[in-house]
Amino acid sequence: MRLVYLIVFLVGVAAILSDHLTSPSIGRAISPQDFAGACAPCGAPCPSKK
Amino acid sequence: MMTIAATTTLAPATARRDWLFLTTAVLATALLVALVLIDGQPASAALLVLGFGLGAAFLKAEFSFTASWRRFLVRGEAGGLLVILLLIALTAVAVVPVAASWPHYGGSIAPLGPSLVIGAFVFGIGMQLANGCGSGTLYTVGGGSGRMLITLACFIVGSVLGSMSLPPFLRMGGIDPVLASDYFGPWGGLAVTLASIAAVALVILAIARRRGAPISTRGSFIAGALVIAALMIGVFFAGGHPWSVTFGYTVWGGKLATLAGADLSQFEFWQWPGPKHALSDSLLGDTASLTNLGMIFGAMAAAAFSAPFARGPWPPSRSLAAAAVGGLLMGWGARLGFGCNIGAFVGGVASGSLHGWVWFLAALGGCTIGIKCRPWFGLSRE
Repeated sequence: MRLVYLIVFLVGVAAILSDHLTSPSIGRAISPQDFAGACAPCGAPCPSKK
Repeated sequence: MMTIAATTTLAPATARRDWLFLTTAVLATALLVALVLIDGQPASAALLVLGFGLGAAFLKAEFSFTASWRRFLVRGEAGGLLVILLLIALTAVAVVPVAASWPHYGGSIAPLGPSLVIGAFVFGIGMQLANGCGSGTLYTVGGGSGRMLITLACFIVGSVLGSMSLPPFLRMGGIDPVLASDYFGPWGGLAVTLASIAAVALVILAIARRRGAPISTRGSFIAGALVIAALMIGVFFAGGHPWSVTFGYTVWGGKLATLAGADLSQFEFWQWPGPKHALSDSLLGDTASLTNLGMIFGAMAAAAFSAPFARGPWPPSRSLAAAAVGGLLMGWGARLGFGCNIGAFVGGVASGSLHGWVWFLAALGGCTIGIKCRPWFGLSRE
């Protein structure tokens, strides 16, 4: 199990690094709730907006 | 000067440390903290460090929502649930007034409707089969449980499937979030929120007494709740919203699916501004992912600090099947139900949002089904 963990861990960290270095970033970490019209933690719109 | 006696006393404890995984976890956290600091984002660094603390605290206190709910449903034991309510009340003291008063902060809100109820119910089934919820998955994965690695992978898959299902379920109807502070103001909203927590605590106490069950719990569980509440308040101030877990899983799954060639932009969920931005932006720009990663590393460091890491054997295949099914159900349910125990229940109630209580009741119903299903997979009902 240790070997599986090591592989998953290293691949995971490498993927995070790769994603960070190849993705655009607006800077400040945000949540979908920060966007206008978001009505839930995932950014779903409010029923009244439909 | 260290005596021989002191040397012999210290030696076993030091020998039990797993330096490989302890060093790896600390270095990985330091690396990510350095990356976000290079980008000039101290709040992101704070979220990683707070997540690290949460992982260590959850692991050391063995803070389990799933087991607390199960003990209450099966044996009537209320201690765990009451401590969870204490955690929510402490968090609410900071979240309700600040979210209602300062424009840069917001509570965890969600619409009320069939999607919330169905999602929470399915999540409840899943958490009993997986033997862990959203946060439980994070800290047990970090703690070296191979079984929960399966749960995490399936949670991510289920979460992406849930992202595709959510818009049609939302079209079934619903009403806008109901927030106590919208009706009673910041402090009145807090009073109503605390009163609702007290009322639920009294109901739980009454049920426990009626069933003749004990209401006590471990001291470490209570201490864990106090530490976790402080860290959750820290996450709220650093991220601007209460701590959430499962959106991070959805983003991880979305990025993996995109990497595999899938075009998620055709799905309505991924056209909404928040998910669309999260999919294209760096993972380290998503608040949920930051705390999730910190939590895994923190639990790993805490586990490796006190014992050899991940030395246990793989569990039986039926238990792994339960972990997989539970993960899928939780992932799908969390997307439809707007989160897990952390984002929907703790975050929702601590924000004074009615959806938190609706989620709790629906998930409690799902847990009763999940507990009945556990023996199919060779798991104890208790």
